[in-house]
Amino acid sequence: MAKFLLRRAGSLVVVLLSLSVLVFVLQRIGKADPVRAYLGANAPALAVTQARAKFGLDQPMLVQYWNYLVGLVHGDLGMSYSTRRPVTVELADKVPATLELAVWALFFAIIIAVVLAGVYSLKGPVSGVIRLVFFSLASAPSFLLATLMLLLFFMQLHWFPAVGRIGDPSVNGPTGFYVLDGLLAGNLAYSWDAVQHLVLPALAASIGPGVALARVLADGLSFGMGSNYARTARSLAESERSILFRHALRNASSPALSMFGVLAGSMLSSLVVVEQIFSWNGLGQYLSTAITSADFPAVAGVSLVLGAVYVVLTAMVDIVLALVDPRVKLA
Amino acid sequence: MLSFPDLRLDRGRIRRTGRRALPFSLGESIALVCLLLVVIASILGPIVSPYSPIIPSGAQLLPPGSPGHLFGTDNLGLDVLTRVMVGARTSLFAAVVTTACTSTLGLILGTIAGVVGGWLDNILMRITDVFLAFPGPIVAMAISAALGASLSSSIIGIAIVWWPLYARLARGEVRRTATSMHVEAARMSGSRGISLVLRHILPSTLPTVAISASLDIGGVIAVLASLSFIGLGTPAPAPELGLMASMGMQYLLNSWWVPVIPGLVVALLALLCNYTGDGLRGVLRARGV
Repeated sequence: MAKFLLRRAGSLVVVLLSLSVLVFVLQRIGKADPVRAYLGANAPALAVTQARAKFGLDQPMLVQYWNYLVGLVHGDLGMSYSTRRPVTVELADKVPATLELAVWALFFAIIIAVVLAGVYSLKGPVSGVIRLVFFSLASAPSFLLATLMLLLFFMQLHWFPAVGRIGDPSVNGPTGFYVLDGLLAGNLAYSWDAVQHLVLPALAASIGPGVALARVLADGLSFGMGSNYARTARSLAESERSILFRHALRNASSPALSMFGVLAGSMLSSLVVVEQIFSWNGLGQYLSTAITSADFPAVAGVSLVLGAVYVVLTAMVDIVLALVDPRVKLA
Repeated sequence: MLSFPDLRLDRGRIRRTGRRALPFSLGESIALVCLLLVVIASILGPIVSPYSPIIPSGAQLLPPGSPGHLFGTDNLGLDVLTRVMVGARTSLFAAVVTTACTSTLGLILGTIAGVVGGWLDNILMRITDVFLAFPGPIVAMAISAALGASLSSSIIGIAIVWWPLYARLARGEVRRTATSMHVEAARMSGSRGISLVLRHILPSTLPTVAISASLDIGGVIAVLASLSFIGLGTPAPAPELGLMASMGMQYLLNSWWVPVIPGLVVALLALLCNYTGDGLRGVLRARGV
């Protein structure tokens, strides 16, 4: 186990370093000249040369990358072109917003997956219709799902609010996770308001990954229920329910977990779109604003943060997988 | 309580393969026919349509069903039907180009890795490892943002992120084929190097990669539309489906059709491609590929 953890940590570092190289290269090949963007297009040549020296852009590429990497390790993501503020400062309050939404979306995705996997195992026309509906929903881009949810649950039924994270930003909590902040402050109404704001965007981002997960889970369950160990358990008079939960689910959860990486990636990109639609003040909305204003340091900062979150998350999933499924360690 | 009655004696699985012996199920055949109809409509529609996709042709924000404007008009008075037909054509074309580029790149690199082996194989596979560890869509966004927002930079972004999947697949197929009898026989009869690869190995790896690529087209359509939605496609007023939906969002309250119809068209295209792809996968499984 120690050897496995060490190897996994090593590959985590390699991947994070490669991500930083990629983003560094993208910043250098990008169309925008950082100095011109900083000083304006009509800056005198002398000022440009001085700024170039000041930012270290006249140094060899490897030195520049080293400086960039040292900056990253110290939490320096560069300056935003459009606001002239450090990207790290701008992102600070947006990270919890996106993480809170992502956690809820993940939660919904797991519920959808488990319920649908159950439906998939049933037969008959109702199950067929449900499968078709969810297959269609999973094919739809997340911006359409978000739009349709706004039309139905906000404009027709008035069940949920449409915009932002909270109606009344009275609690200024320590964590930035509004539901948690409300609970910590003993303000239940505040938490409930935050939950209501969370439901629609989280649901819009969770349907695609949820359905994909359900298919893997259902395949694994039906394979497990037809396998030799299930037959043995049946011959020992174990009930179907006990076989399902004690044996098949545990075996099926391993492929489902290993698919988690791909799903988390697609969920992150849906969040970018969904945040824009629901005016969710998180990384995604910040990213789309940065894209429209061609603010590449900001784009690079968000990509690095989301990328790092994703990479660390998949590493954690791998470790959990090794704990759940002893066969993984041999690979 | 959940139960799996039809799997106790593997009856379910036998029946499923029995059904798959038919090339396509009824639903999948319908999807295929609909897909062909949509392709034809998206090619012929813009030619037949009396309206231009970028020159206003009527009153603003006419609802669907208005005379002369079946899907209504948008905030500029552009005919929505004409725009979504042009958009669908762009979408399909871009998705096919993207998957073709990505899978060709992956096929070439994967075949090289599989055939040459040794250190080159090692290096290429470590590179694919690193790429597969990245969050694909996010990196694709970063790449196309760095290259400047346009449809071609979105395509490049997706291609750079997705080739490793095909490279893995191709390498695996090559290694499997390389040990098979017919390649052995070809080697015996003196076939070497590139001609061995092109004449004996590639013909059996190509279909797998091509089919896997065609399965991905539906997903690529949705990803391209999402990139265009967040501003990484061709700038307005280009008739791109994602862009149309995002520009139309501000009219959602009063004129739902402006943002919703382009989104529905993306969903329809992706669904038809996915459904047809599922049929294709079923055919392959039935043939034991």
